[in-house]
Amino acid sequence: MTGDLLLFAFSAGLAIAFALAMVVQKTPVRSVLALVVTFFGMAVLAVMLAAPFIAAIIVIVYAGAILVLFLFVIMLLNLNEEAREKETRPVQRALGLVAALALGGLLLGVTLRAPAPPVGTPSAGPRIPLLDEIPVIGRLLFSDYLFAFEAVAVLLLAAAVGALILSKRRMD
Amino acid sequence: MSPLPGIAPMSVPPAAFLAAGTILFVIGLIGALLKRNALSIFLSIELMMNAVNLLFLTWGRMRGDASSHVIVFFVIAIAAAEAAVGLAVFVALFRARQTIEVDRVNLLKW
Amino acid sequence: MSPATFDLLAAIAKIAVVWAITLAALLPNLVWMERRGAGLIQDRPGPNRVGPLGLFQALADVLKMFMKEDVTPLYVDKLLHTVAPAILLVPALTTFAVIPFGSSIPVLGREVKLVIADVNIGVLYVFALTSVGVYGLVLAGWASNNKYSLLGGLRSSAQIISYELSMGVSAVAVLVSAGSLRPSDVVAWQAANVWNCVPQVVGCIVFIVAAFAETNRVPFDLPEAEAELVAGYHTEYSAFKFGMFFMSEYANMIAASAMIVTLYFGGWSLPFVTFTGVWGGLLSMVVFWAKTLFFICVFIWVRWTLPRFRYDQLMNLGWKVLLPLSVLNLLVVAWIVATKGGA
Repeated sequence: MTGDLLLFAFSAGLAIAFALAMVVQKTPVRSVLALVVTFFGMAVLAVMLAAPFIAAIIVIVYAGAILVLFLFVIMLLNLNEEAREKETRPVQRALGLVAALALGGLLLGVTLRAPAPPVGTPSAGPRIPLLDEIPVIGRLLFSDYLFAFEAVAVLLLAAAVGALILSKRRMD
Repeated sequence: MSPLPGIAPMSVPPAAFLAAGTILFVIGLIGALLKRNALSIFLSIELMMNAVNLLFLTWGRMRGDASSHVIVFFVIAIAAAEAAVGLAVFVALFRARQTIEVDRVNLLKW
Repeated sequence: MSPATFDLLAAIAKIAVVWAITLAALLPNLVWMERRGAGLIQDRPGPNRVGPLGLFQALADVLKMFMKEDVTPLYVDKLLHTVAPAILLVPALTTFAVIPFGSSIPVLGREVKLVIADVNIGVLYVFALTSVGVYGLVLAGWASNNKYSLLGGLRSSAQIISYELSMGVSAVAVLVSAGSLRPSDVVAWQAANVWNCVPQVVGCIVFIVAAFAETNRVPFDLPEAEAELVAGYHTEYSAFKFGMFFMSEYANMIAASAMIVTLYFGGWSLPFVTFTGVWGGLLSMVVFWAKTLFFICVFIWVRWTLPRFRYDQLMNLGWKVLLPLSVLNLLVVAWIVATKGGA
């Protein structure tokens, strides 16, 4: 096996193993930590896909900010108890599992059988020069995707204000 | 899946990346369907979104297209906004009902 | 020798050099420097019994850390309690992988650049590691099953993520003027033009203040608040794990000083000097570590001089003063670069 295949096997295996761990864990704190490791594995996979900038963004924003926010909420509200009661809807949950697995098989079949992009037709966007995609992304963000960029900026502002209002305690 | 002309071929077959992304998506889906704690459901949804990011990056690498990176960038920004608001909703829910299990939030059920 | 093996051997040699300098030479002596420096500022001798001038005090401390009994409180999550110091230490040490500690040394006819990993997103990598280091603090506070530790851990992580923003935005101003995210490009720009602390004074000051907050050093060390929260998030830790917390604090300090030197004070470069050949490369290494040592001394000096901020003052400073200043700095720099038609 070449080094690349080994690295892929290790990081994909790590990501999948800890994703399963996240689903199996009973306490939310351990689920969050398992998800952090999963995101690290996915960041390594992103670097292998010639997207080191996106890999850094995944670690900084997803693993470093969003999941820390999750941990804060769990710790401050003390939400770490395991579910004590019996399963209330076992049949529904079993059916859900079967349906999810069936969907998974269907998706795998479709994605792996999809035909290659036809040779010769250029794609819509610019080619990524390998490992140097930051200027390309910057230019795209401020030309073709400018409206989306500004809209996301407004969305983040609205989310910040909304979160503040929703979680404020009533002062009456 | 042969690459487009002018793009360096991938050293690991792209089918492997697509399979990994799809498996992670399905694991997230299973978590979202089976868990009762609202926070765990939310975590599984975040996993699903990141799995889709991985798939986008794979297709972008296969076609040599940088717009997939831009799409992933926006997905991450939107996930951040969604996490902030979602957690604020959970905090408000916990204050009102003292529980965060989705099975107990059933006042509007028939 | 094939290029691949040459690169591998060069990388191993560079890692060995950086580890030797930071772990073996700097870290233990930092303990000594801190305590003698404290004594100097407070007009008392400081440790002077163990060895000449008290230089073996660090060795004595390390031996003590190893030999003490490891007390773990009862109802803690054992896995998280054990892993938390490691999560804090590893990012602090891994930061050195992207920092250029010298120009380049010609070996066997090839130029070996004195960076362990010259990735094109080097500066972002450092911020990613800072974000990950937050987990160590939060978990240490949580896993101790102790109200005061939890409070200390949460305060500390809230402080770190708040100051990360101003630090990042000031660094972005530097990156805009250098035109690249690679640390060696930033240093090369500074070697060719002027050290970044001169045109971007505001950004430099914001970055240094934010670096103090990131490493939990006074005046921002309320999370460790020796007089208030017992010892904050590392109250329930003893022996070797406690030693790891302290190692990681000093490693963070060294890494923060190295980042300040790289981004704002020219890295390994001196004005009007070009470093060529083997001796040039070695001299550039000496220059870099001398500058880093200077900033470490500034860290120690400030610690024993200033009082501690209250938590609300701390958060006010981070959000209402430093963040707007750094954004203003970024706007001015971006405008200058855009109008000059720069990179």
